Amino acid sequence: MKKILLVEDEKTLCLLYEEELSKEGYDVTAVNDADAALEALASGNFDLIITDIRMPGKNGIELITQIMGQRKDIPIIINSAYQSYKEDFMTWAADAYIVKSSSLDELKRKIKELIGD
Amino acid sequence: MSELRKDLVSGRWVIIATERSKRPDDFRPASEARPASEPGGFCPFCESSESKTPPEVFALRAEGTRPDTPGWRVRVVPNKFPALNRGTPPPKFTRGVLQWMEGIGVHEVVIENPDHAKELADLSVPHVRDVLWVYQQRIKAIEEELHYQYVQVFKNKGKEAGASLSHPHSQIVATPIVPKRVKEEIYGADRLSRSCKECVFCRTIREEAAAGERLVHKNSHFGIFTPFASRFPFEMAVYPLRHSPFFTDLREEELGILAGTMKAVLTKLKQTLGDPPFNLVLHQAPNPSLSHKTWPDIDRNFHWHFEVFPILTKMAGFEWGTGYHINPVSPETAATFLKFEGPA
Repeated sequence: MKKILLVEDEKTLCLLYEEELSKEGYDVTAVNDADAALEALASGNFDLIITDIRMPGKNGIELITQIMGQRKDIPIIINSAYQSYKEDFMTWAADAYIVKSSSLDELKRKIKELIGD
Repeated sequence: MSELRKDLVSGRWVIIATERSKRPDDFRPASEARPASEPGGFCPFCESSESKTPPEVFALRAEGTRPDTPGWRVRVVPNKFPALNRGTPPPKFTRGVLQWMEGIGVHEVVIENPDHAKELADLSVPHVRDVLWVYQQRIKAIEEELHYQYVQVFKNKGKEAGASLSHPHSQIVATPIVPKRVKEEIYGADRLSRSCKECVFCRTIREEAAAGERLVHKNSHFGIFTPFASRFPFEMAVYPLRHSPFFTDLREEELGILAGTMKAVLTKLKQTLGDPPFNLVLHQAPNPSLSHKTWPDIDRNFHWHFEVFPILTKMAGFEWGTGYHINPVSPETAATFLKFEGPA
């Protein structure tokens, strides 16, 4: 089973994503901030990271930059409510940038494309 | 005494607030150190990060090296997450007073060199020439697609100038419509050229060279001056002496001289103001592969040029509300600090 690390500060969204992605057959570990994500990464293996950008503490771009400094082999999806961060070239560290919407179809499609079922 | 000055081509007014006049040292940033890398140590534009960018569309690279691997000197990649997507120009929609169209366009990034800490001013003249040559090649290639009326080349250096990465890069954005600022220049140049019976840009550089008070440098092919109605402190304009509406018309020998000139301009800016954030923009006539019938006598009236403006002041309510800029350094004063001899 493919393992996904989900970084999302909105707890209700976290629950929704966990439920939806688990139904798709993924093993989802959800954390609510960047520091917790770095801790999770240090202690576990993941096939994919999905991260929000605007979060308390370090934002998602700082998080992926820090991850890139250590390892570049895990695919990353930015999942943000804001288009505007696309102007920041540091987002290129991610493999995909998805703008949050009420449907998770695009996110699920991108996950499948990056890591398969 | 402050002065209201008009830029005749664009019709824009500027307040030169000389009573607030400042010296270059007043604008020097507290720290001039350039980061050797981004925080976290990762940069998608650095050599060996090629897999983090979309596949390159153009590169100058060492013989025997494969695309999207190390070994490049200048590399062009499409924007990974573009605001505009390639395609044929869509129809314009209208509803009542509203007009809109689909976001079609091209957005490319020119990574000027593999070294994160080497700015354009720090590169050798042949390398700067390579960067300018790459601009020409990409403009031509995009114009040949026939979908885009205008190709804008620009560079943002430093956070305050809009750069999100410190790795030296420029950007190329092509749009299916000609931007308002360029249109203003086209129509302004046409109006003035008819009254002065010659290209107003040719006349401007000739008069600036003769007057000398705003002239920064002049060589065999280019003239640099601080525009009479400069919007920003230490703003400079780089004009070719040979009349041409298109940057892509620049000949091989001119390109080499322009490289030396641009390197000297940027080095002088750095020395005078302590590595300030700046924007560099290229203005040329709209896509020559498309009909120019809609533009008034553009081959005769328009004259390509670069504008360089350090970002030392902020646009605020007055500027946004009126379109006026307040410049606390007169262009005449700025020119005394920016003047240089050589190189070409």
